[in-house]
Amino acid sequence: MTQVHEPHERRILGTELLWAFGVGVFVAATLGMIVFTALTRDINPPSNVERIDPKTLHLSGEFAEQNLGTTVGSDGSVTVRVIATQFMFVPRCIAVPEGRRVTLRFATPDVVHGLLITGTNVNTMVVPGYVAQVHTEFTRTADLLMPCHEYCGLGHSEMWATVQVMSASEFKPGQDGRVSCAQR
Amino acid sequence: MPADQPSAADNPSEVSDQVDEAALADVMRVVPLGAAVLASAAVALLVIGYLAIYLLIFLPRGAVG
Repeated sequence: MTQVHEPHERRILGTELLWAFGVGVFVAATLGMIVFTALTRDINPPSNVERIDPKTLHLSGEFAEQNLGTTVGSDGSVTVRVIATQFMFVPRCIAVPEGRRVTLRFATPDVVHGLLITGTNVNTMVVPGYVAQVHTEFTRTADLLMPCHEYCGLGHSEMWATVQVMSASEFKPGQDGRVSCAQR
Repeated sequence: MPADQPSAADNPSEVSDQVDEAALADVMRVVPLGAAVLASAAVALLVIGYLAIYLLIFLPRGAVG
């Protein structure tokens, strides 16, 4: 180990140790905040890993046309299924309830897409071969924009959908448990 | 050097300043403090910006996962 003799070398070492301590405190505080909010407020990075065949996803199963959109299960759970394709989201308008936990599930048959819902923390990539899943709760009624945020081709800028957040009185599932956007 | 070519020392800007060691030592006692204050201020602004976005924008937007 190098011997430190000179007073100014000691001062430099002291300054470096002080900086290292300060950076250590900041990193620990940041990680602490992330862990704290994950445990107490259910804020986590979406981490679902689920495979799906992009060549056949539209033909049958969960992402067939008749299953797309918003469905309320018999247990009251709200699930939204959307296909992101060049250059649109199917369906173009998604109805969700205010103040209830919602599961959003996305798949794509072609290229990599991405999406965010303005004013919320929903933000994910949609990669061919995988189901992107995000859980969230919408806190206010509004029509929110949901654009594609991953360049997916020449029509990328035209690729967007609307998320219609409805009040409890407005969000009424039909007999089949499906909910569509209201005409406003 | 050819006699018709001027010396670089003819131009005052080409000649180093005369600095006496005591004055240099005086300055060097203050310069590290200034660097530390500048670096601290820059890091503090970064941390404040991060905390403001995290606490005032990210958290109020609600749960996601």
